[in-house]
Amino acid sequence: MPGFPSARLVRGIIMLKGTPASDGIGIGRVMIIEEHSLEYTPKTVTDTDSELERFRAAVKEFCENTGAQVEALRQSTGDKEAEILQGHIQMISDPYLCGEIEKLISDGRCAESALEHMCDMFIAMFSATDDELTKQRAADVRDIKSGVLRILLGVKEIKISDAPKGTVLVAKELTPSMTAGINKDNIVGIVTETGGRTSHSAILARALEIPAVLSVDGAAAKLSSGEQVIVDGNEGEVIVSPEEAQLAHYNEKRSEFLQERRELENYRGKKTASASGEVYELFCNIGKPDDAVKAIEFDGEGVGLYRTEFLFMDRTSAPDENEQFEAYKKAALILKDRPLIIRTLDIGGDKAIEYLGLEKEENPFMGFRAIRFCLKNRELFKTQIRAILRASAFGDIRIMLPLVTTVDELREGKRLISQTAEELKSEGVAVKENIKVGVMIETASAAVMADVLAKEADFFSIGTNDLTGYTMACDRGNSDVSYLYSALQPSVLRLIKYTVECAVRNGIDVGMCGEAAADSRMIPLLISFGLTEFSVSAPSVLKVRKTISKWTKEKADEVAEKVMSMATEKEIDEYLKTVI
Amino acid sequence: MVSQQLTLTNPQGFHMRPASVFASAMGKYKSSVTIKFNGSDYNAKSLLNIIAACIKCGSEIEVICSGEDENEALAEAVELIEGGLGE
Repeated sequence: MPGFPSARLVRGIIMLKGTPASDGIGIGRVMIIEEHSLEYTPKTVTDTDSELERFRAAVKEFCENTGAQVEALRQSTGDKEAEILQGHIQMISDPYLCGEIEKLISDGRCAESALEHMCDMFIAMFSATDDELTKQRAADVRDIKSGVLRILLGVKEIKISDAPKGTVLVAKELTPSMTAGINKDNIVGIVTETGGRTSHSAILARALEIPAVLSVDGAAAKLSSGEQVIVDGNEGEVIVSPEEAQLAHYNEKRSEFLQERRELENYRGKKTASASGEVYELFCNIGKPDDAVKAIEFDGEGVGLYRTEFLFMDRTSAPDENEQFEAYKKAALILKDRPLIIRTLDIGGDKAIEYLGLEKEENPFMGFRAIRFCLKNRELFKTQIRAILRASAFGDIRIMLPLVTTVDELREGKRLISQTAEELKSEGVAVKENIKVGVMIETASAAVMADVLAKEADFFSIGTNDLTGYTMACDRGNSDVSYLYSALQPSVLRLIKYTVECAVRNGIDVGMCGEAAADSRMIPLLISFGLTEFSVSAPSVLKVRKTISKWTKEKADEVAEKVMSMATEKEIDEYLKTVI
Repeated sequence: MVSQQLTLTNPQGFHMRPASVFASAMGKYKSSVTIKFNGSDYNAKSLLNIIAACIKCGSEIEVICSGEDENEALAEAVELIEGGLGE
């Protein structure tokens, strides 16, 4: 945090941590959304006819209210968000649900208890499935239940639409019906106790461009109405009763953020092209299938690197073929026809994964890892390949092999993949024909052999983080040598240039998925060398598109020529800073 | 009673929108419409029952219609599912 180094350490300041769910900074006063009690005493009814009438009238009123909210939401955030609420009308109109509730009422139950009984049954059923989307529907049924109960009990709805300007909403959970009442001119921040980046609350907050921090433990109890807070949706922090200096610092951060957002929005939905018209692919790096949602939200054109390691970590046995298949398929379905490059397991002795039986070694980064490990653990590797190939029927999936150092590794990997594809086909399973198999160029050996590899690989992706580490023989985590760690080192740049040129000469795609791909100093060099694809973290997409659009090929060539004639990293870095 | 085995091919499976399209179409018929999946029966006129069944893309299901307009009901069910449920 430049300029204000230690917010955490200032005495008396309380900072709450949560999940950053919607970018931006909001400064305002807390309004706690308290759920009015919906408790009632269940009773037996004798006049079942008028109880049925009461229930039907409540459902009718609920549908009318919700219909009005759908319209309001359609105006403020768009059709996609309105559809969630539209679904509530369809759910409560379910003939089975209504029929069963009415049966219970006819048997003498009061409307409240009959409604609750049936809704709770579906909430339990939905929550018990292993499907994320179905689980989310439980929140909808809960929302419907409280909505109709509120009408039956005559409890007034919380009016978020009345919130004054500069309000930070604090709630246990933000239900879709609550969000419908949000006036984005008045609400400057959202804090909730539940929900993650992919919850309804988060999606709505991002659609409304309201900074949000979710999953803040005990937020409603720790905050009080009227209190001033700063909601930092970039970092996932809520600062309570900030001091003058903090306010000034965050106000400045806020205006910088808003200005940059406005500028970058001009690049949304545009092609990624240089000023002289060359078109590039601009992809995202992801670690989980859900991250693909983020990639699309940030306008990524595909996924250039899906790290599959996360699937294998923090568990006691390897994910089986079906679990992997579901994960890869999920990412493919989210991306629709956008490319999805899946990197096979990249793991070694530096990661403690007991069930893989990886032994501790002296030098894990030079040891038994990634493709080397996978080619020796055929069963594990084949399971992953089968899962990827099965998922390939659902999108534009490509396979990337990590840490390749020799042509043999690529050949053996390709052989295994085509053999597995044949097996699947003979089992009658649909797989994509001639799936593309590429190589991650992240060792000096692979870069030097790029001319040979390019004849047998379908694409390259340069992983600058490891390529820099291996080429400079330096551990970036060791502060005594980390000064050497830079992708702008002349040696690393020579390897990148050679790799790209070999790919171009052989007519294959060549991307970069390391951090350097989003570095504005590196971008003109990559344009000049002839890179075809950039893969960056989702929040960097628009920024990289903007940077690329500023360069012509001619100007980039000039810069690259100068850079390649320089002798030291320092010289290169200083020069590039003057041209960007 | 008439029935037919079908494979769900729309990418989303029986989630909110496809399920809603299907349930409301089946609601028009007098016959009962049941989906058999994984050994259980689900009322196909009920959106919530279909969602609870959690039927994903690629799943084999059996649609069973029974009643005076069972043939028409089954014909529309087959057409909807084979047509990808409006996705």
